[in-house]
Amino acid sequence: MSTDVVLVPSTLALLPEYAGARDPIPDLRSACQDAVAWLVSRHASSVRVVAAPLRAEEVARGVTSPAGERIARHLLVAAGFDGRVDDAGDGVLVVANGTAKRTERAPGHLDDRARRFDAVIEEALRSGDAAALRGLDAEPAEELWARDWAALRVLGELLPGCPMELDYSDDPYGVQYWVGRATCGS
Amino acid sequence: MTLKLGRHEFGDDATLMMAIVNRTPDSFYDKGSTWAEDKAFERVAQVVDEGAEIVDIGGIKAAPGEEIDADEERRRVVGFVTRVRAAYPGLVISVDTWRAEVADAVCAEGADVLNDAWGGADPRLVDVAAKHGAAVVCTHTGGVEPRTRPFRTEYADVVASAIADTTAYAERAVAAGVDRRSVVIDPAHDFGKNTLHSLEVTRRLGEMTATGWPVLVSLSNKDFVGETLDLPVGERLTGTLAATAVCALAGARIYRVHEVVETRQVVDMVRSIAGRRPPARMIRGLA
Repeated sequence: MSTDVVLVPSTLALLPEYAGARDPIPDLRSACQDAVAWLVSRHASSVRVVAAPLRAEEVARGVTSPAGERIARHLLVAAGFDGRVDDAGDGVLVVANGTAKRTERAPGHLDDRARRFDAVIEEALRSGDAAALRGLDAEPAEELWARDWAALRVLGELLPGCPMELDYSDDPYGVQYWVGRATCGS
Repeated sequence: MTLKLGRHEFGDDATLMMAIVNRTPDSFYDKGSTWAEDKAFERVAQVVDEGAEIVDIGGIKAAPGEEIDADEERRRVVGFVTRVRAAYPGLVISVDTWRAEVADAVCAEGADVLNDAWGGADPRLVDVAAKHGAAVVCTHTGGVEPRTRPFRTEYADVVASAIADTTAYAERAVAAGVDRRSVVIDPAHDFGKNTLHSLEVTRRLGEMTATGWPVLVSLSNKDFVGETLDLPVGERLTGTLAATAVCALAGARIYRVHEVVETRQVVDMVRSIAGRRPPARMIRGLA
């Protein structure tokens, strides 16, 4: 049994309720759509979604649904998926990105550690270094606003030695986004 | 409501900039700067470049002055409409006239809209609009004669008068055969109105938009702005834009303007505040 895994970022700009007249992330959106379409084509009946849970401050503001879950559902529906979202599927959609402190204009401003932190994650994705992902240190991740670290750790569980093909890797707004797909097992 | 302006159609949510192009030597704002035909043509090119969907070509200034008969009005506007039509097939051409014979001549040359600033003073105008498939702007003047200033005009309720007169004119246009989608109403700020009247129709413009007829507003640099802020012509843009914002919030569809770019920005901004228009591009707080 093989597992197919797709990784997309958790930027709110992917959600239709935040759409302006002009798309600020056309290339990223296109890559997400292609990757999720690939996943849906192989797992039409059931997909597992892995996303960071609500943070305490979001709960305090009255948010009831994690952004990553909403993004996943939107991308799945847009790809024509009408199956179940549950934990049983061997098609997995992970919603996570890297740091948000890569440039002076980044949401979290510039932190010199951000690029190195993201580079470690990207190398782990490309090489299938599951241990590196599972061992992500939460403290610097939080400091660098890589708030999806928990989802990246789960991704490590899903990629035992499976390299991820990255369709997209860029930081157009100072936040590191990846779109990737991987197939693990036989 | 969908707008059909001659050969052009616009969706329910479209707002349109109608740029003023005067073929007059004496209009209050431009004071003859586009009196020469080539200068007027340059003005058309400029406002098209600035994004105006409509040009409103006028051959007679609104205020009292030298008598301009129909022959002279035709000389000023008909050939110019021909030239603009040929150069800008996608542009809506409106002509500011109350005379049916002038309207007939400009429509034959491709004018799309008859902007009757004098509230149906010539009852044959709607027949001309119907004959040519043109749109008509039905304004409220309180029944005054063309090219007269208001003099001690009073109303029991100026907005009620504006709604009653413009909607009656609109229905008369439809009855004459004008497409219902081609009828626009205009409270006509300053026309038959003192400054308090114009401020009130601005404040209560939502009552006009609630009629369902698309509403045009002509606010640009007018005396009600000047009197309100005690400013001469040339210093009224900020006041004009404030009034524009109020009208945009109330749902006005067409804005007759001297300054296209500034007005478009205000209208777009207000419509986005009202939740009727998405921002052009958003990433702040979302990345």
